[in-house]
Amino acid sequence: MSTNFYEFFCPVKVIAGQAALEHIPYELSGMAAKRPMIITDKGVRAAGLLEPVISACEESGLDIVSIYDDVPPDSSTQVVKAIAKVYRDEKCDSIIAIGGGSAIDTAKAVNILVSEGGDDISKYAGAGVLKRPLKPFFVVPTTAGTGSEVTSVAVIADTERSVKLAYTSSYLLPNAAIIDPRMTLTLPPHITAMTGMDAMTHATEAFTCMAKNPLSDAYASAAVKKISNNLLKVMENPKDAQGRLELAQASTMAGIAFSNSMVGLVHSLGHATGAICHLPHGLCMSLYLPYVLEYNLESIRQPLGELLLYLEGPDAYAATPVDRRAEAAISAIRKMRDALYKKCQLPRTLKETGKVTEDQLDRIAATALDDGSIMFNPKEVSLEDAKAVLRRAWA
Amino acid sequence: MIARVIKPVSLQARRLYVEVMFQVMGRALQGISEVDEKIREETRVLPKGFLFEMMVMPAGPNLIVEHQGEGRLRFLGSSAPRKVDLSIQFKHIAHAFLVLSFQEKTATSFANDRMVVDGDLGTAIRMTRVLNRLEAFILPKLVASRAVKEYPADLGLPEKLISAAKIYLKVATTFIETARAS
Repeated sequence: MSTNFYEFFCPVKVIAGQAALEHIPYELSGMAAKRPMIITDKGVRAAGLLEPVISACEESGLDIVSIYDDVPPDSSTQVVKAIAKVYRDEKCDSIIAIGGGSAIDTAKAVNILVSEGGDDISKYAGAGVLKRPLKPFFVVPTTAGTGSEVTSVAVIADTERSVKLAYTSSYLLPNAAIIDPRMTLTLPPHITAMTGMDAMTHATEAFTCMAKNPLSDAYASAAVKKISNNLLKVMENPKDAQGRLELAQASTMAGIAFSNSMVGLVHSLGHATGAICHLPHGLCMSLYLPYVLEYNLESIRQPLGELLLYLEGPDAYAATPVDRRAEAAISAIRKMRDALYKKCQLPRTLKETGKVTEDQLDRIAATALDDGSIMFNPKEVSLEDAKAVLRRAWA
Repeated sequence: MIARVIKPVSLQARRLYVEVMFQVMGRALQGISEVDEKIREETRVLPKGFLFEMMVMPAGPNLIVEHQGEGRLRFLGSSAPRKVDLSIQFKHIAHAFLVLSFQEKTATSFANDRMVVDGDLGTAIRMTRVLNRLEAFILPKLVASRAVKEYPADLGLPEKLISAAKIYLKVATTFIETARAS
């Protein structure tokens, strides 16, 4: 499984910690940007998360020229076109995305249009189409899970053709990711749990799948440790700002890890389940993670065993025989899921979600087989294998 | 002096090997789509007239196959009658050589970022499964195990030998037909 070749790339400046938002004006001025536009969604605005960003900018004499707060959960080419028009009409010169995966992906796509010109975002779909840097772009994540602030991908739905368009380019990466504990402090418990497990899955798959490499391993293992140490603490005490910051950093680190080493079958099944049953991505990750690790076990025994150190700490690691560490790592993840179920009823099986029917499993398996991430799963997956994992995850 | 002469020759030999392997693979893809129902199950979902290409960037050797309907593929050589629908591209001839000489699995080559996909990623994954099954059929098990992530457990020796013989026969036939036509 270990490779003797790898690529690793992350040029995003990470600005993390107390009063991180107050660095935005300085960073914008460093790029000669004076007329920023905020792209966000109604939920973020209603939660009052725009105020600290706006006030941080205004205090430094920088006005936010325009705010677009109507990004839907599944953004579309029409939305991107509409926002690009506002950007141009208001003569903006930079973008600040504030939100979760959808707002960030939308902002990435808007940045393509306003930098490259035109109204048709679909012509930039695919890998490596962009050939030059885009407008100054900053991301302020408000969830601790997607890692979109450090990934070079955006997915936008083309509603006219009923397809999802993927955009891949290193030029989509923001100039800076601003991680401030104030932005995740009000996340509701079940979102905290789902997004935390999303980041845990990114890190675990990055550490165990085919394109793992020494640099992504370092980020992934550190992310697992931060999530293990802080997720349940934050669930217990949601106002724990330090714990929130640790989770947000873990999400970014897991994002850096998986964007350089890719993910595997958990994501293939998760993408398929999301598309067919409309379950949130983070929930799918939490749901499938132990079952896929069990499926992959004999191909990933060594790296999974190593993760026990970061999941359970040095004492448990030392007390566990080498040949039992991989199983113990899976048990640790199951234990964490049980605790989350107790705290906020985060489903552990497909049946517990109440939104999946048993007759959908075959379709989920068939869809998962054509998902891009299945290529990087360490073990070959046949249709029957995928169905077997789904049956185990059912109840 | 000798090294200066040998190096270009070895690079030329590598290019020639990749060109020949693309020719063989293209014909073998056509052959296996005629003899194996499992391959046809994979390719049947492609639109009729779908063009699939494997190539070396920027304009190196390539192979193009067309879906003719009912899962059957036809090798078109190295020129496409229209824009291809899906292209899997090796970044360099050295990367193509690693895969086509079975020193690196296709999945590993993807993981090592040596290949890029121009077109629908899901279809690329499907075509990779087709290529893997082809390799499992036409290569000796020891070599095929190096080329695919996991050698199919359900592929028995009799089925493999009979199918491989049919595929190689079809490859040879198309080579002869091409030679006669030119």
